[in-house]
Amino acid sequence: MYDFLNQIQSSFSVKIKEKDDCIYILCPSNLSPKICDILFSKFDYIFSGIILDRDDMGWKLYYIFFKAHKVVLVEVSSSRPIPIFHSISPYIHGADWHEREIEDLFGIRFQGHPKLGNFVLHDDVWPEGVAPMMHKDFPDPSFDYWQDLPPQRLLDAKGAFVMSVGPVFSGEAESVHFQIETIGEEIVRCYPRLFYKYRAVEKKAELMEIDRVIFLCERINGKSAFSSALCLCQAVEDICGITPPPRAQVLRVFFCELERIRHHIGVIEGICSSTGLWIASNAMGILEERVLRLCCTLTGHRYLFGMAIAGGVSKDISSETLKEASEELERVFLEFKEIEDLLVSTSSFLDRIEEVGVLNRSQVRDYAMVGPVARGCEIINDMRVVRPYLLYSHINFGIPTEREGDGYARLRVFCAEIEQSLRIIKEIIQDIPGGPVAITPEYRAGSGVGAVEAPGGANIQWVRIDEGGRVLRYRIIPPSFMNWHGFHNAVEGFAFQDFPIILATFGLSVAENDR
Amino acid sequence: MWRFTLFFLSLGCFLLGIIGDRVLSRRECGWLVGLAGVTGGIFLFIWSLPLLLSREVFSLAIYRFFGKVKWILSFDPLSLFFLAITSVVIIASSLFASSMMGRKREGRGEDACVSWVYFSIIISSIFVLTAGDVFSFLLAWEMMSIFIYLMVSCPSKSSPGYLMLAIGEAGTMAIMMAFLLLANHAGSLEFSTIAQGSTTLSPAIRWWVFILSFVGFGIKAGLVPLNFWLPRAYSASPRAFIPFIAGATLNLGLYGIIRVNASLLFPIGVGPGLVVLLTGAITALVGVLYASIEDDFKRLLAHSSIENAGIITIGVGAGLIFLSLGHPSFASISFIASLYHLLNHSIFKPLLFMGASEVEGSKGLRSLDEMGGILKKMPYTGLFVLVGVLSISAMPPFNGFISEWLTLEGLLRSVEVHPLGVRLAFVLAGVLLALTAGLAVTCFVRLFSMAFLGRARSSHVQVLREKRGVDMMAMALLALMCFVLGVAPTYVIPVLDRVVSPICGTGSSPYLVPAFFHSPGNSHLPLAFFHDFEKIGARIGHSILPGRGLVILHRGGNINPVVFVASPAYMLVTILVIVLFAMVITEIFPLRGRRIERSPVWAGGIKRLFSEMTYTASGFAQPIRVIFEALLRPRHVEERESLAGHFQMRIRRESVHIHLMDRFVLYPLVKGPSYLSAKLAKMHGGEVNTYTAYVFVVLVGVMLCLGFSFF
Amino acid sequence: MSRWVVKGLRGRCRSSQYPVKEEKAPGVSPGIIGERLPQGSALGLRERCPMGVICDPPGGDLVDRGRCIHCLRCGPSPSLGWEEGFEWARFTPEGGPLPPSFKGSVHIRVVDVGDCGACLNEVKLLNNPYYNMHRSGLFITPTPRKADVLLVVGRLTEHMKIPLIRTYEAMPSPKRVVVVGACGLSGGIFERDFITPNVVQEMLPVDVEVPGCPPPPLAIYHALLLVSGQMKGEYER
Repeated sequence: MYDFLNQIQSSFSVKIKEKDDCIYILCPSNLSPKICDILFSKFDYIFSGIILDRDDMGWKLYYIFFKAHKVVLVEVSSSRPIPIFHSISPYIHGADWHEREIEDLFGIRFQGHPKLGNFVLHDDVWPEGVAPMMHKDFPDPSFDYWQDLPPQRLLDAKGAFVMSVGPVFSGEAESVHFQIETIGEEIVRCYPRLFYKYRAVEKKAELMEIDRVIFLCERINGKSAFSSALCLCQAVEDICGITPPPRAQVLRVFFCELERIRHHIGVIEGICSSTGLWIASNAMGILEERVLRLCCTLTGHRYLFGMAIAGGVSKDISSETLKEASEELERVFLEFKEIEDLLVSTSSFLDRIEEVGVLNRSQVRDYAMVGPVARGCEIINDMRVVRPYLLYSHINFGIPTEREGDGYARLRVFCAEIEQSLRIIKEIIQDIPGGPVAITPEYRAGSGVGAVEAPGGANIQWVRIDEGGRVLRYRIIPPSFMNWHGFHNAVEGFAFQDFPIILATFGLSVAENDR
Repeated sequence: MWRFTLFFLSLGCFLLGIIGDRVLSRRECGWLVGLAGVTGGIFLFIWSLPLLLSREVFSLAIYRFFGKVKWILSFDPLSLFFLAITSVVIIASSLFASSMMGRKREGRGEDACVSWVYFSIIISSIFVLTAGDVFSFLLAWEMMSIFIYLMVSCPSKSSPGYLMLAIGEAGTMAIMMAFLLLANHAGSLEFSTIAQGSTTLSPAIRWWVFILSFVGFGIKAGLVPLNFWLPRAYSASPRAFIPFIAGATLNLGLYGIIRVNASLLFPIGVGPGLVVLLTGAITALVGVLYASIEDDFKRLLAHSSIENAGIITIGVGAGLIFLSLGHPSFASISFIASLYHLLNHSIFKPLLFMGASEVEGSKGLRSLDEMGGILKKMPYTGLFVLVGVLSISAMPPFNGFISEWLTLEGLLRSVEVHPLGVRLAFVLAGVLLALTAGLAVTCFVRLFSMAFLGRARSSHVQVLREKRGVDMMAMALLALMCFVLGVAPTYVIPVLDRVVSPICGTGSSPYLVPAFFHSPGNSHLPLAFFHDFEKIGARIGHSILPGRGLVILHRGGNINPVVFVASPAYMLVTILVIVLFAMVITEIFPLRGRRIERSPVWAGGIKRLFSEMTYTASGFAQPIRVIFEALLRPRHVEERESLAGHFQMRIRRESVHIHLMDRFVLYPLVKGPSYLSAKLAKMHGGEVNTYTAYVFVVLVGVMLCLGFSFF
Repeated sequence: MSRWVVKGLRGRCRSSQYPVKEEKAPGVSPGIIGERLPQGSALGLRERCPMGVICDPPGGDLVDRGRCIHCLRCGPSPSLGWEEGFEWARFTPEGGPLPPSFKGSVHIRVVDVGDCGACLNEVKLLNNPYYNMHRSGLFITPTPRKADVLLVVGRLTEHMKIPLIRTYEAMPSPKRVVVVGACGLSGGIFERDFITPNVVQEMLPVDVEVPGCPPPPLAIYHALLLVSGQMKGEYER
């Protein structure tokens, strides 16, 4: 496990620092691409994202990697007012969008990155140089700035044109603008123009109290609110050095898996309705509503808002109620199994998702994709085993993977994960310890990383707080951000009619990506 | 002799046009073309139509070549019909050409040199159509070929015209051989004698005559497999005269086919008819397929001409088969359908080409991918092209509907024919025709919407201006005729029947157009039938309108009394009533505070809809390319440029389509001899000894031959 | 394929009887703070509520439900004003229902202007067998040209202003606007700044407002019944 450290230390002059289970490698900016490349290509580390922070000593850029219970952060610091960093995207393509986001929001250029600009802040609404995260104050609203921005075109063919879908499209879809380059029927290139729903959560969180930031964090993506908030709470608990009580941990695992079940049922419902199989999608809708009503009767909110707090959970639920809930989930699961069996024996349905939207393993790896999408290509970066939290290291459960990487593989992964979640729930409610469900944290200044397996994939958050419990810097890397980056690989080469189906099999959230 | 006054007057006008072109300056040429062409055309039309209706057949011997060979002009209903069509096309295209020539040119002096060629083509076409003997026919045919070559290659001395001439000459050779075979058998060069003598021809010679003449005339008519010259030649033609070329020259080939097979040779075996039918069907499909994926406006229309020639040929083939199997009434329906389609084609094709020439303007805008939104710039041109598009897509109430519908109905009559093989051939032809009709609608919807509707996809469109001159009059005239021919077919069909009855031996207009307007005693219909139709309004207008009726009807036996029936006039009235009713409801009785709001195109809420976000013509045709990929066999090239593996910089895609006929016919024709000559070139070693040996071998061979011939 | 038909026919009817009958199934709604607070609860609520649901003047008990983000920090307890039920939608002072001829057939265009996903999911659940909005003649349409009601969900962002206005302009009159969720009414947890400077009320004329974070499907159903004229509503004071 320390081979990589030996190799890096022998090849480059770097400083190593260890704190809890995190290893910090401090290096100058020009060496960071090579070091990251060694970690990624040679030692198979999972690249999870880039975090840019600024404390009293200057800028700090962290590249965060995970593998086998270790967290490695490659740290690059700069004391200039406007630093210049080297881009690692030519080596790790997954870093591309992170660097573009930092450039757009901070105004910091990455040397060696071929394409920057017009990412988060749309260039036809904002003039150049707004850089909201760079300054302490909020910039002014854009008011009357207007620029016509024709779509960027890469396809050079006779009669090629850009098929524009959105941002307001379909019946109940989230707002995202797809610029699909095509010569007629086939999608040659798909560029999703995101960040129409950019709400500047990271900026709003600065100088807010932890409690309020938890509310904000829940409402980035309401469909995986609990996992997101849990990640933040865990980061804060790490900073303050507290552990939630055992009963709280059981409840937290219970809510996580409950949310996962509900989220996956929703995704499968989306897949069924995208192919037009209405009976299946309505049957799934019934199950989703049953789980939502269960959540509401247990906790008082259908989407588990307000449950996660730093130090535990906000509300206690009796063990009998939990057992009844588990039985209801079992009944839901039996119904679900019946529908699943029917689905996999309906050839007209399978025709639409089998061998459609194919991702291959190297694409998933290069784009650092996460979650069930990555597990459809046999790449497991499930935070529950990579960096176990709560009780997951003691629970016996499996991580389902499939090999083909097509829509059907992803559907099978979603179905199998529901089964595994139910298994986890049944195991933990066998023996629920008593006691309080929360302890009051005493805030300390410091920074920390939280990593949680949200239903859509690994959700990584970084937070730096002060002694009063106010957030100084909040960074969230949601799973949808990584997966949207690699989405275009799955649609290129397929026809228009497959597009909504491929989109549905990914189970992506635009709100989560846009933050 | 004096019944030919108008005829010779019209010829004189055209001759004046030739002379005047050499004499007058370039600017006045336009007026000359217009004046001479229109007056000549009017004279010709006024002369030929009444004669056509009077059913007379007569001929005129003009000259004696070398004392033996007479130059005979013969005028029978078939020739007069073609003359009438040609005269209408001459009037419209002369108007158009004069307007086009009067405009300022930018750097392309293409039209100035060719107005005399234009009139020469007219005169030689007239002589082809009225030739009464083999010699004058061939002379006129050759002249016509050469003059068309001159016209096509005038803009730029390039290969399309030369290819057309070369393959046309091969066709002329075949025609010559066919005629000589016929003349040899009959002992005379005159058509009338040949027609009488052809009944005793042996089957083998019949087949030879048929094959040679079909190939030769088929080249001119644009039938597969030798029609690869047509798209190239049409797109290289000068802008002002292409309507005439498109409208009149295709007819000559079809005239030749009908003349030889139906008039000179009475069909005995089923074989020739089957060949004609199936060739027509395949031609139609190939033509429309390539039209659907074509990007150049004029080439698209050229491929569509091939398709229409195919449809006409299907009708001719069906008619020949029915004749040879002894069903003259069905044959007459099919022949009427094909001649009607020929007439329609001569009206809407020049109309569409006029639209193409207008859009091309002075900047040479031809690619559909670069057009868009032209309707806002050129509303009248767009309107007339819309009429042409509706007609060619066989939409009621325009003329294309009648002829295609009659052709299909004629094919359906094959259920009453006994040989199974023939019925299968009819089914196959019917299926191909149906597929063609569907693809034609797609093709022309694409043409009109991509060129005229939507947003301008390039800056070339911004500079287009509509100059409303005499060309608009020409287009309006043709559009009006499209409408009239579509609404009043019951007046046209009896005229066509006069043309067809000498061929079929019987007239069918009493059957196709029943005389509902006359009282029952006068018609061939049983009284009960008459009264049934009277109840559903077949006699509406009988006191106001002339003619026999407004209903096209085919009567069967007692089991199903009506085989098919339609009335475009009533269809039009129904459409108008519905539209009027809708207007009354929406305009005159508004539902509480009617308000009109206008807002831009809904495009998903994006800030601005750029023109590159709208469909292009190639994009619209992509599904057709994909479906028919096995036939079209394109060659795909894809290149992707990327940085560091995943940053896409550029994707280049190219598809190269080689036309089926090029692949199967032209390239082998061209490459075959060069391949052969490359092989034979090995004979030319360069050594004197080898050549001496050749001389020796040939000498010995000759002596041996002489020796054998003595014994 | 026939197995799907059998499966569909075998299931029992689960549709709620609302609005004909009351809906009291558990889990249908989380409840919301009442419009009128019980005596003496204002102080306790003011201490507990992080969003300031109680508006000025200080000492009063005027409740702005549009600010409630369902953080549940106030219990939720009835003694502090929490009420069950889901009929939360209200007309705005300038708003009103569609003309009576639209009663049985209303087409809705849903626009997501910055929603977190929870409100949109609740809208999607409206056509689920439990709620089945088609039985009241409510339909969701993908084209604004055929829409009568614009249903806006989410926190309005600067980037989505123009798409929202274009969608509104593309709808033919008569048209009505329904805003769903705390984010749309008051901004919710997302405060006003450079990227979220306005709320929907400032860009479009709003007719019906539904508070909640997220409002359950029946609350949105209630709002749609109000705007289509199938139910009489109270006007806000």
